[in-house]
Amino acid sequence: MGTISSRSIVRTGLFACAGSIYISLVGLYTKFADLALVGEQITLGRVLIVAPALVAAYAVTRPRIVAGERRSVELGSGVVVGAVVGLVGGVVFALALVFADWFGVDRIREVFVAVTEPLLDFLTFDKGIPAGLPILIVLYAAGGVIGGFARTAPAVVRKPVSVGVLAVLLLGLLQRIIPIVFVELGFEADWLYRPASGLTFGGAAVVFAIAAAADAIWNRDGGRTRDRVRSTVDEAPAARVGLFVAILAVLTILPLLLGTVISEVLGQVMIYVLLGLGLNIVVGYAGLLDLGYVAFFAFGTYTTALLTGAFLNTTTGAAEPVLSADLNFYVAVWIVALLAAGVGLLIGAPVLRLRGDYLAIVTLGLGEIVTVITASKWAQPLIGGPQGMRGVTKAELFGFNFQDNPQHFYYLALAFVVLAAFVSWRLSTSRIGRAWNAMREDEQVADAMGISTTRFKLLAFALGGAIGSLGGALFAVSIGSVTPASFGILVSITALAVVVLGGLGSIPGVVVGALVLIGLPGLLREFEEYRELIYGGALVAIMILRPQGLIPNVRRSRELEEEEVTQDAWGKEASGEREAAAAVLPGGGLGVEREDIG
Amino acid sequence: MATATDEQVRGAHLGFLDRFPWRRIVLIILSIAILAVVAIGAYKTLTLPADERYTATTWKNFIVLGLAQGAIIGLIALGYTLVYGILRMINFAHGEVFMFGAFGAFFFADAWEQSGFLDSNPILSMGLLLVIAMLTSMGIAVLLERIAYRPLRNSPRLVPLITAIGASLFLQNTARGFFGAQSRGFGVPAALEGTWTIFGIPVDRIQVVVLVTVVVAVTCLTLFVSRTTTGKSMRAVAADSEIASLMGIRVDRVIVTTFAIGGLLAGIAAVLFSLTFETVSFTMGFRPGIAAFTAAVLGGIGSISGAALGGVLLGLLTSLGPALILTGYGIPSSFQLKDAFTFLVLVLVLIFRPGGLLGSGEAEKV
Repeated sequence: MGTISSRSIVRTGLFACAGSIYISLVGLYTKFADLALVGEQITLGRVLIVAPALVAAYAVTRPRIVAGERRSVELGSGVVVGAVVGLVGGVVFALALVFADWFGVDRIREVFVAVTEPLLDFLTFDKGIPAGLPILIVLYAAGGVIGGFARTAPAVVRKPVSVGVLAVLLLGLLQRIIPIVFVELGFEADWLYRPASGLTFGGAAVVFAIAAAADAIWNRDGGRTRDRVRSTVDEAPAARVGLFVAILAVLTILPLLLGTVISEVLGQVMIYVLLGLGLNIVVGYAGLLDLGYVAFFAFGTYTTALLTGAFLNTTTGAAEPVLSADLNFYVAVWIVALLAAGVGLLIGAPVLRLRGDYLAIVTLGLGEIVTVITASKWAQPLIGGPQGMRGVTKAELFGFNFQDNPQHFYYLALAFVVLAAFVSWRLSTSRIGRAWNAMREDEQVADAMGISTTRFKLLAFALGGAIGSLGGALFAVSIGSVTPASFGILVSITALAVVVLGGLGSIPGVVVGALVLIGLPGLLREFEEYRELIYGGALVAIMILRPQGLIPNVRRSRELEEEEVTQDAWGKEASGEREAAAAVLPGGGLGVEREDIG
Repeated sequence: MATATDEQVRGAHLGFLDRFPWRRIVLIILSIAILAVVAIGAYKTLTLPADERYTATTWKNFIVLGLAQGAIIGLIALGYTLVYGILRMINFAHGEVFMFGAFGAFFFADAWEQSGFLDSNPILSMGLLLVIAMLTSMGIAVLLERIAYRPLRNSPRLVPLITAIGASLFLQNTARGFFGAQSRGFGVPAALEGTWTIFGIPVDRIQVVVLVTVVVAVTCLTLFVSRTTTGKSMRAVAADSEIASLMGIRVDRVIVTTFAIGGLLAGIAAVLFSLTFETVSFTMGFRPGIAAFTAAVLGGIGSISGAALGGVLLGLLTSLGPALILTGYGIPSSFQLKDAFTFLVLVLVLIFRPGGLLGSGEAEKV
């Protein structure tokens, strides 16, 4: 089969099988078995049966470099290779199921809790062990064929079809939002979605057709339409302003369309957008990896609670904190941000000399100190300790109550996000932003060019801290009570994942990252349990496959491509490493040429 | 670039913030404050009225406990230090490697406890449990290297670090999906319950086992690194991987070996940790992992004896520190702040002596 050896085909098939076994053991199949995406039969669980073979076949049919020449795999052999990969994987996986059945599901469950009879029933399509296995193998082979096709088909076919399929899957996943929007707008949703379930087949076909057609038109004539639209947006200020106003208008009417439940999720997304924007200044702009960002979040939450007259939870009822004030939220929030900037300076000052991974670990340590102290009894008289506080202000304004009504809270959060995004955007294009850029590229050179690295590092910590504390302030208002359980290393890692997924240094990236990582799991309750698994996997996958993020920032630092290695006593191999990195990473100079929207 | 002349040169063209040596002043004030807090706290604790004071036996227990826990931490720290020495990367997911080893051993210990094998053959079963945990941890460590780290071998330093954080979260939740979210009781053979009296002090038998095992393991590792060919190539790669590869050393293989050895040691630590605390859970890797990293930094990252020393020191500090210093200030439940103590040590070491105790002390390294 051309350039692909039979050994690597078999090995890829085994990888696909390993992927399925992993998904089985971790419990994803049983969890998503009944989440219908299209019709009754196409559930997320079944998509996950096809997915490993699809991904494996897609990976193995990648173009290879033979004798210095890049060779793509042809369509015919790509599909055949995919089918073989799927068959190999399917047969081995089927054998694994036979083994599991013979060995006894109950005995396996003593170790792997997810291995149950329903799991076997699901994987054999309720037909029992011998009868269901051929279906499984055929599905696997089909997955392989699709994977091979998705890689090797001509772009004219491949792109619209992939976009169409992805659109169907996405709308299937958004089954709790879109019908509500339709009903709110006065449209019928019955033709598109089955009641309280996924898309209908007719609806899926329509979605597929629209998405595929849109993609085909967008990329028509070798992308001329696309280029024309882009250059209009880039060059005509009126078009940019129009786009901006349009986005803002959609954001403004969104909660009216979506109802309270989804507005609540959007509120959470907004909080993480704020955290992401703040962390983006520290990590994305200034290139300082801060793993203790939760410290600012916690600081914002607790200070808001204290300044707006919340009281402590005690075993006997409630008590006054040692230090507290009874300010209006809209006065208190600025004090909170100012104080947080001060905390940023305090944290920043001692760690100024540390770089790279050491800085990350010190900030992690500082963040953990904050979380341990907030949860300790020692902190009881001041901030409630393990019991926490309640009675945080509802931030009433003009008769709006921002705590009990998620739709109103959304507007409050939106105002903060727009403010933070505006500040971030202005900073990134200002002299300060360029100084951060220079510092991130090469600290020593920046220093030699007369940039005060001390000042700009501290500024990054202070501003990042202030924005992060606003996220905390909003959080306090949204839940009305504060407990230390909300503050852990996971907050820092989630914020980092939001920034990294979207693309370091990219403001639209932060929004997209938060929508994907906070919004999707929030909308699909089934995801809740696997949220952290997905965050972890996403961080690894993004770093390996697309380190520049989903929506990369072009002027973004070369932080990820080049590093401060030269300043390093270890970095003797610096120059060699740099060239290698620039050649290896997809972002190295070849990144998509796109500016931030703004 | 940490020299005074540099700072003066910089000061010539920059503003007040840069000219003023305020970082140094902050550090001096900070260190005086810390010394004062420690001294006053210790004095107050030791001069408490007799009925509130800790007894001599309690202090001895704190010391033995600190030694045993520190020894375990030191074993995990060796994994960090070996990998850092060779790849200059912090393998943040090492705590999860440790956690998987504990689960590997747990399922056998559980089955053997029910069948009575654990109590009838304590030495054999302990040996087998060690081997099982070592193999499990080694497998996870090698997989981790192969899947998550190798594709990023030539990337800048922050990329593997972010990956490692992701891998840590991923592995932790994989264990949660595989083995369930609840923590499980780890069976201890009857022969290891109770105490032995050594030099007139009653010491928990498990703590004796822990200390002996750790001493043996560290000795074996030291011999391995200093005497064998593989150990020599590890040192060569640590010194300069490019030159080492020119000399015919297979760098990839050495790196895998390093991860494997780190995994083996984490597996031993996992069994000892589970025996000490008699419980396993999917979150058990995080705090010991951070503590071990702290120990590695404290001893001087990259140095094997440093990691072991750092572990023991950190064990003593976290076991004695809260009781000795915080009790004097009348802080309730000072043991709750034990972990904050670990992190505080980490932050202070990195600020004051980033090279660690046995390291070179160069700030540039950081």
